[in-house]
Amino acid sequence: MRPGSFFSAEVSEARRRRESVVEILGDGVETEVTWEDQQNINLFGRLNNKFHELEDEIKATKDMAENLEDASNELILADEEEMRYQVGEVFRHMPKEEVEERLETLKEENTQELEKLYKEKDSVLGKMADLKKILYGKFNDSINLEEA
Amino acid sequence: MASSFQRRGIPVASFVEDVPTFLQQYNSDPSTALTALQEKLQQYKIAEMKLLGQKRDLQSKIPDMKKCLQIVGTLLAKRGSGEVMKMDFEVAEGIYSQAQFEDTNSVCLWLGANVMLEYTCEEAMELLTKNLDTANTSLAAMVEDLYFLRDQITTTEVTIARVFNWDVHQRRKQRSLKVDESS
Repeated sequence: MRPGSFFSAEVSEARRRRESVVEILGDGVETEVTWEDQQNINLFGRLNNKFHELEDEIKATKDMAENLEDASNELILADEEEMRYQVGEVFRHMPKEEVEERLETLKEENTQELEKLYKEKDSVLGKMADLKKILYGKFNDSINLEEA
Repeated sequence: MASSFQRRGIPVASFVEDVPTFLQQYNSDPSTALTALQEKLQQYKIAEMKLLGQKRDLQSKIPDMKKCLQIVGTLLAKRGSGEVMKMDFEVAEGIYSQAQFEDTNSVCLWLGANVMLEYTCEEAMELLTKNLDTANTSLAAMVEDLYFLRDQITTTEVTIARVFNWDVHQRRKQRSLKVDESS
């Protein structure tokens, strides 16, 4: 067995699970790694994790926005005065206006949440770009910070 | 230098300053060192998987807690208004029955293990809010632990790559030495 061939298999396994994005290539090029470099690499790993979590949250929030939009469209079409509004596991009978009010509040909250998430994502991406510059600057091709 | 600070019993993967010095603990044998490092990496990964599972469990409980709070909140908001609330309850899958709700000052909370306890609305609200807070706090702690674990995994992975690279480098040097001798 080629020395360290199990290592490259290990790396691709980790990348497939998209958990590890930082990869110092086992290419035989010896570069000195300092504690500061290691901390930067660790931070990059953390940020990358955070980035994926944010992506998931953004997706969930967008889905919610769509559902809320659908609900208000249905509400416009409905001609009943009394609606059923789900609270927890049960449906509460509620006048149409109150349902409309609640939907508006929810929509507003949802939009704010989405904005917050986008801002966070931008800041994470910015930090990742800075770290990429530093790390690629030092390690060139010996490090891989991209996702397959 | 990396501290040997522990977190939830997770040992710190200490940073290797210098590969040859590090290899001395393994009689300067890179493959023994690599095997040991791989083992450590696996342990970290198992710990990460466990923790991720716990996090998922907790995350799935939080929406339920919010639902409970919503209901108690609704009851509290309507209390004293004398208004009769109509609700549709699911009695079996897909079958709903209507119930009328008059002013109520108490709710029963399911405490688990087949125990239900009656609380006043305020007490229930307090208890549920406290539970939600606790859940959020432990979720935040778990996220921190996961970040910490991620750092240890990254450090170990980088160390493995460095030991491997050092080894390849060493072999190349030896090979070129041999070529020089034979020529």
